[in-house]
Amino acid sequence: MRVPTEASFTSRLRSPAIAARVGVWLGICFAVCFVTGLVSHWAQLPRPAVPFPTSPAWGYRVTQGLHVFTGVACVPLLLVKLWSVQPRLLRPLGPSRRVLLELAERGSIAVLVGSAVFQLATGLANAARWYPWQSFSFRTAHYAIAWVAIGALVLHVAVKLPVIRSALGADVESAALDRPTATRAGALSRRGLLGVTAGAAALALLSTAGSAVPWLRRVSVFGVRSGDGPGGVPVNTSAERAGVRTVAADPAYRLEVVHGDATVRLGLDELAALPQRRETLPIACVEGWSASGTWGGVRLRDVLALVDAPAGTAVVLTSLQESGPFRRTRLPGNFVDDDRTLLALELAGEPLDLDHGYPVRLIAPNRPGVLQTKWLARIEVVDD
Amino acid sequence: MTERVVRVGLGVVGVLVAAYGVVLLLSRQESAQVLEVATWAAVGIVVHDLVLAPLAVAAGWALPRAVPSLARPPVAAAAVALATVTLAAVPVLGRFGALEDNPTLLDRPYLAGWGVLVAALAVGVLVAVLVAAARRRRAPPGPTGAASENEL
Repeated sequence: MRVPTEASFTSRLRSPAIAARVGVWLGICFAVCFVTGLVSHWAQLPRPAVPFPTSPAWGYRVTQGLHVFTGVACVPLLLVKLWSVQPRLLRPLGPSRRVLLELAERGSIAVLVGSAVFQLATGLANAARWYPWQSFSFRTAHYAIAWVAIGALVLHVAVKLPVIRSALGADVESAALDRPTATRAGALSRRGLLGVTAGAAALALLSTAGSAVPWLRRVSVFGVRSGDGPGGVPVNTSAERAGVRTVAADPAYRLEVVHGDATVRLGLDELAALPQRRETLPIACVEGWSASGTWGGVRLRDVLALVDAPAGTAVVLTSLQESGPFRRTRLPGNFVDDDRTLLALELAGEPLDLDHGYPVRLIAPNRPGVLQTKWLARIEVVDD
Repeated sequence: MTERVVRVGLGVVGVLVAAYGVVLLLSRQESAQVLEVATWAAVGIVVHDLVLAPLAVAAGWALPRAVPSLARPPVAAAAVALATVTLAAVPVLGRFGALEDNPTLLDRPYLAGWGVLVAALAVGVLVAVLVAAARRRRAPPGPTGAASENEL
């Protein structure tokens, strides 16, 4: 078998006309993923320089859903994009005086493709709670490589701008920019391939987005979550996994609320005796799934008033779980002061399920699910 | 001239942004972790170029040989959709992240769902072929797309 060259690829679908158009869609999707990823990063900062807003309550649900499901839609787009430019991979390096420039361009393409594949592969695996890598931190690596991918993408647009403009300015079936051997009509027209590509991206989206969009549940055959769970809300970490089954169910449970020298310890009866509120707020996970719930419980501000906590101060929440990166989280002052922020005791009119954080959990508006601390043990007012 | 300025500007911004990402990675992960990230990115390129791309070439070669000309457009369309969506669904199809203590995670019959996708695409292909056949009966026969040699 002989090694193929650039000229071996004769389909007229492998053309700048396709690459530029699918490239625009892919670029838009990458930009959406990048921006929503930055929003998610901002939402998870313990001390954001600019406070993350508490409204709208569904904001993070939308941005993180967009992040994950736009990423899923990128898979067909990236594959067709790479397919359309594959002959370029096998072209000769050109005259020797330009070899360095050629190598630099191919190096930048390798960085772009490598980082794009890395982002999609690790993102898809993470959304399905699959961690096939050994050592690196998903969150750190996915965040750092996002900058590499978006930078390499901007550089790629700079390099290709003339051909992008020519391709987008001409009719999609125009042969003006085609390679000399790319003359054979394929099974599909170029318009047909573009339609199929957009359709495949839409299908990828529909087949997964039901994890966040309730009316899509039935068609999302590849959704990571069906949406079922205690009180109609799925669970991310079970009480079993967190190692809190015994301590959380202990009748001697007391929630410790601390402000300087003032400490109060509240059992479930004492919490139930405080004014009860009801809020409909979503659990929106970094993994993209989300579900709305009607939570009942005590306003966090009402509890903090028992230890004379001044308005606007942050609190540190500690869970009963003994380990895990989110055992202790800092709730910024604007979330503490929001009237919708509850210490939830109930979901959908029933006492919290053990897996949802019984006896007491935090539920605040517009906050990533990992920071809605379950199995609360201690709330401490902090000055910094 | 303006385009040149825009290109140089974009190029400089792109390099700086990508370099910031590299600095972030190097400063926040140990060298073994950085090496694993680089390995994953490299393996991604290799898997695409040496596995997925040749499979696509093989599919393109087989299509005109295995499928009558009338059915080629819908079969090609369905194949692109099925292959790409299936690849995106690998993590759920394998249920690699399933946990015994959490019945709300990966709680759908994914292989059955994949079967539904295949069936829906097959129905689509069948309908498209019937429509094309009906059109062909009404219109005079056009040129038939015979399989040529040497196609990638």
